[in-house]
Amino acid sequence: MKLAGLKSVENAHDDSVWTAAWVAETDARPALLLTGSLDETVRMWRPDDLELERTSTGHCLGVVSVAAHPSGVIAASASLDSFVRIFDVDTNATIATLEAPPSEVWQLQFNPKGTTLAVAGGGSASVMLWDTSTWQLIATLQIPRLEGSKPADKSSGKKFVLSVAWSPDGRRLACGSVDGTISIFDIARAKFMHHLEGHFMPVRSLAYSPIEPRLLFSGSDDAQIHMYDSEGKTLAGAMSGHASWVLSIDVAPDGVAIATGSSDRTVRLWDLGMRAAIQTMSSHNDQVWAVAFRPPGGSSRGGRLASVSDDKSISLYDYS
Amino acid sequence: MAYVYIPVHNSQEEVRVALDQLPRDATDILDILKAEQAPLDLWLTIAREYFKQGKVDQFRQILEEGSSPEIDEYYADVRYERIAILNALGAYYSYLGKIETKQREKEEHFILATQYYNKASRIDMHEPSTWVGKGQLLLAKGEVEQAFAAFKIVLDGDWDNVPALLGQACVEFNRGRYLDSLELYKRALRVHPECPAAVRLGIGLCRYKLGQLEKARQAFQRVLQLDSENIEALVALAVMDMHANEAFGIRKGIEKMHRAFEIYPYSAMALNYLANHFFFTGQHFLVEQLTETALAVTNHGPTKSHSYYNLARSYHSKGDYEKAGLYYMASVKEINKPHEFVFPYYGLGQVQLKLGDLRSSLSNFEKVLEVYPDNCETLKVLGHIYVQLGQYEKGQEFMRKAIKVDPRDAQAFLDLGELLISSDPTAALDAFKTAHSLLKKGGQEVPVDMLNNIGVIHFERGEFELAEQSLKEAVGEGVWISFIEGKIKPKAIDAAESVHLYRDVRIFTELEEDNVPLELPWNKVTALFNLARLLEQIHKTEPASLLYRLIVYKYPDYVDAYLRLAAIAKAQNNIQLSIELVNDALKVNNKCVNALSMLGDLELKNDDWVKAKETFRAAEATDDKDSYSTLSLGNWNYFAAMRNERKYPKLEATHLEKAKELYTKVLVQHNSNLYGANGAGVVLAEKGQFDISRDIFTQVQEAASGSIFIQMPDVWINLAHVYFAQGNFSLAVKMYQNCLRKFYYNTDSHIHLYLARTHYEAEQWQECKKTLLRAIHLSPSNYVLRFDAGVTMQKYSTSILQKEKAKRTADEVRSAVAELKNAIQIFSQLSAAANLHFHGFDEKKIATHLEYCKHLLDAARIHCEDAQREEEQIRQRQELARQVALAEDARRKAEEQRKRQLEKRKLDDELKRVEQQEEHFKRVKEQWKRNGPKRRERSDIDEDGGYNEKRRRGGKRRKASKSRYEVEETGNDLVDDQEYLEDEDANVNYREFAANETQEQDGVTEENAQDLLAAAGLEDSDVDEPSSTAKRRPNWSESDDDVGEQQPESSLVRENPAERHESDGELKENAERPYGDDDMDEEE
Repeated sequence: MKLAGLKSVENAHDDSVWTAAWVAETDARPALLLTGSLDETVRMWRPDDLELERTSTGHCLGVVSVAAHPSGVIAASASLDSFVRIFDVDTNATIATLEAPPSEVWQLQFNPKGTTLAVAGGGSASVMLWDTSTWQLIATLQIPRLEGSKPADKSSGKKFVLSVAWSPDGRRLACGSVDGTISIFDIARAKFMHHLEGHFMPVRSLAYSPIEPRLLFSGSDDAQIHMYDSEGKTLAGAMSGHASWVLSIDVAPDGVAIATGSSDRTVRLWDLGMRAAIQTMSSHNDQVWAVAFRPPGGSSRGGRLASVSDDKSISLYDYS
Repeated sequence: MAYVYIPVHNSQEEVRVALDQLPRDATDILDILKAEQAPLDLWLTIAREYFKQGKVDQFRQILEEGSSPEIDEYYADVRYERIAILNALGAYYSYLGKIETKQREKEEHFILATQYYNKASRIDMHEPSTWVGKGQLLLAKGEVEQAFAAFKIVLDGDWDNVPALLGQACVEFNRGRYLDSLELYKRALRVHPECPAAVRLGIGLCRYKLGQLEKARQAFQRVLQLDSENIEALVALAVMDMHANEAFGIRKGIEKMHRAFEIYPYSAMALNYLANHFFFTGQHFLVEQLTETALAVTNHGPTKSHSYYNLARSYHSKGDYEKAGLYYMASVKEINKPHEFVFPYYGLGQVQLKLGDLRSSLSNFEKVLEVYPDNCETLKVLGHIYVQLGQYEKGQEFMRKAIKVDPRDAQAFLDLGELLISSDPTAALDAFKTAHSLLKKGGQEVPVDMLNNIGVIHFERGEFELAEQSLKEAVGEGVWISFIEGKIKPKAIDAAESVHLYRDVRIFTELEEDNVPLELPWNKVTALFNLARLLEQIHKTEPASLLYRLIVYKYPDYVDAYLRLAAIAKAQNNIQLSIELVNDALKVNNKCVNALSMLGDLELKNDDWVKAKETFRAAEATDDKDSYSTLSLGNWNYFAAMRNERKYPKLEATHLEKAKELYTKVLVQHNSNLYGANGAGVVLAEKGQFDISRDIFTQVQEAASGSIFIQMPDVWINLAHVYFAQGNFSLAVKMYQNCLRKFYYNTDSHIHLYLARTHYEAEQWQECKKTLLRAIHLSPSNYVLRFDAGVTMQKYSTSILQKEKAKRTADEVRSAVAELKNAIQIFSQLSAAANLHFHGFDEKKIATHLEYCKHLLDAARIHCEDAQREEEQIRQRQELARQVALAEDARRKAEEQRKRQLEKRKLDDELKRVEQQEEHFKRVKEQWKRNGPKRRERSDIDEDGGYNEKRRRGGKRRKASKSRYEVEETGNDLVDDQEYLEDEDANVNYREFAANETQEQDGVTEENAQDLLAAAGLEDSDVDEPSSTAKRRPNWSESDDDVGEQQPESSLVRENPAERHESDGELKENAERPYGDDDMDEEE
């Protein structure tokens, strides 16, 4: 497996680029790359030459997360002002604006079937689930207090939820918090199942393997990447190599490699068989806030990985 | 049976004397000899017989009688025999002198010998045998040149004089001219083929010296054929066998030595050699016995020296340095000049070095160097001694000399490298590399220590790949490689247990159960530790932790490994585990300063103030030299001063004073301690002495930028704080930004906060807001940042709305309104969250801000409408202006059109006229034909008509255009008026707004005067109302706290140097080892 740089766009945004997601291909157009930035805009880019398709405004303060519906028709973006904006990808028409005060919004993700949008609720220690047809709040998954919480952290009464990830079958939801714990929810019963421990610093990104539905990857500020068996509550392994925070994780569609973006300005490709970084890309010169593999299928061949950074640039790589 | 016949005087009879039955008392024979007046040669024969039988006294008695004055008188004409008797006596005394060891008696013997020879010479100057004797005597006395002259006299007379030839050969041998010596021996042999075996011995020795070993061996063997008990030949052959340096040869040699020993147990040479042999076989008891015997049997200086040397060596190798020193000394005493036998000096030097007597050792080694100026070992030892004496330059000089002498001596390069490690790592590295390649080329094993040192130097220079290469080579093959390469993966463990991951050694027990070898030789532990440290440095934390755990598993007393594991856990914020690991280390050594200091830091992180203080105290108590704990205590006091939230100013002052005192103490102990200086700078800054503290920080910053192990972001931050405090905002910003980028990968939200505060003070609101948003993104759960962002946006809006009307644009006003809305969103969220106790803010405070923002927003709306209207007007005006321009354009176009038409018409007219004229002309022509003079008048009239028409038309047009122009002008006037009116309107509006505002404010003041004032105060930093300071407190006090908080980081950072010291220590240990092992290298 290998990454090869295809194209980089300098100054793709007017300020730090904080988030990226792929919008699935539709009949009318190919897959698009969606990016969100501190400059309060969401932009769409057409691969492979990263042509700017559209710039959409409508957020105040920085855009912290974007997510695309599996159909490729609608997308969601969340910003620091705690609003989630749902919009039509092709017309940029706002479909809904979601808010659930007092919880702020962080990472977003649609479930694989596209029926539910999960929103990490920050300080409310919960994940909000929204119905994608009515745009009503279906459920609030609250993280219970950790039993016998350690004396080490006095303030750990509440867990600040930063990241979410759906399992490929849509039956489980994992969320990562600032204190380093990962919580697993059973979606059918809307119930908390258990915690996964091992990190002690914010878990900013989570990703399930597309081929092994129990395998969950987590990236944390402790610079480590953990592999959990999310059902068996076991830490299957840990990988180290980044010099600073791991900000983003994505699993390759073939499930044999993962890509990570880090504060150490690099994008790394990890071979899961060797459990080691096999490639380090240094095209960015500031924190790499997001990495995203293009979902498989569609007319366009070849794997693609996109990365975005505080240096305002976007990079696209060929993954093979 | 041999007889001598003494002729009876005056008769034909003879007395038969059986030579083997000579009477015990020589007087009997003497009586006979005297009575019968026997010829002198008989005297000599009998004396010689006595000598052969070992009856030396009788021999001397007869000869002394035979050389008495009476005999001289009586046998005055028998010259030759008299000379022979004298010569025999001379030779005898020469021999005595030669073997005598006591100096005085030796000389006496030589004097006697000289007397006899001189007497002989007086009888006949030219008797060759006398000269030969004299020559021998001189040789025995060591006067080689004179001996040469004596023998030469004989040989000049008779070229074939065998004794003289032998003597001369001996002279030449002693002079080192072995070829000449050999020639002489050969000649002697040719002249006298029957001569004793000793001659062949001489040949053998010459051959040996000339390096013709085979021929020498033949010669010695020939000697043994002739005389199977010739000790010298036996010993010589044995020595040769031994030098062949093969096991077989040595065994043969030793057998010969044994035989020699059995034949004659008192040959010192054989004894020494045997002792030498047993020294190498390690049978020290035999060595001592043999050498003691050798010492007892010989008085020969060099041999004794050799024996003492053997004895000393034996003790030396047994480690009894005192005794060895004494014997070396004895050995040295037997030597006149170091050139004769230099080894004991070397041994003595070594022993003295071992016993710490560097100066004596130095002088002995220098003596060795006089003899062998190019001896590598000696040069190296001298280098080391100079280094130990603190004369590094000289030490290195000797080392370099050693290398120059033998550029292929890996050991020398290795030693040089070790010398240079602390002073010049680059040169050390070069030396190590050379040693490395030499050893590799020679197929020798490369020492682990050296590879370790190479690795560490690379490490220190930041060349991690090279360092990894060397360290991997140092540790070699082993289970660790599988760990590093990820071939052995730790099994999955329960996530809940993963909390204790770095204490878990189950992986090793499991591996052992699977029969995977886990051997870890002790000499590789240091290298393995350094390798783990390197992996840690390049962020391969997992394999690093496995290696540390392996070390701990195999060597549970290896404190540093625990501490590194604790440091890894701490870096991952797993404080509980880190504390457990440090406690593991303390179980091994509860006085370990590093562990205690680390524990204190951890307790501080856990907010366990009292415990932390106790721990630091304990650390300080263990060792006064370790300034780290003092520093920590200083930091502790500093935090304590900052932490009390200024409730007790007295306490604060005490703590601050104490902190200063402790920092100063650190600086007194180590005047180049960066951290102490940094701390002192902080205290000074805290007291407002910014200039001094800035100087301090600048210096510390410069000093800290040299090594990869010193990471001092604190000093950058402190420097930035000082710039900030002095109002130099742009520099402060730059400093904060550099610090963020250089040390934190831009991830530290605290520094972002400092940066934001600087922007805030510099009134760069947008930068401030962006910075705060970034900080929120980095540290989402820090609600203070949100609050600050809200305040910033509020401030921004206010500043815009308060701007003079003319200086602001509608866009600005709009953005101010947008920011106000954002601020309201933020504040209302905070206020909502406050109910849920997400954060520890005062609800009221947020409510105040919220209220103020809302008010401002209401007010701003008017501003906004106002601005919009204004903009609308501007737009209208622009529209009008556009229309005017359009009209003008149209007019111009019309004019142009008209002009064009006019032109056309003119052209048409012209054409017509031309036509007319032509027609007219035709007509005129025709008329001319009829009546010529009328032509001119008619044309004039026509022209006039044309002109008139033209003028009329032009006038009309002008009029039309003029009227239009007037209309436009009035239009313009109207617009102007309108505008003026609107302006007035706007003014009125503004006045109203201002009134409104005051009214509103008044209204609010009535309602909640206090709060609003507070809010207003917050807005205007220049207004120094008490509430404003109260409001600004959150920012300030927080940042002050942060100034404090960076202190623990300074101590965190300090761990690295501390631990590097550890491994430095180990490096030094390696370096100190050099001369333990090679004691015996120089000896054959």
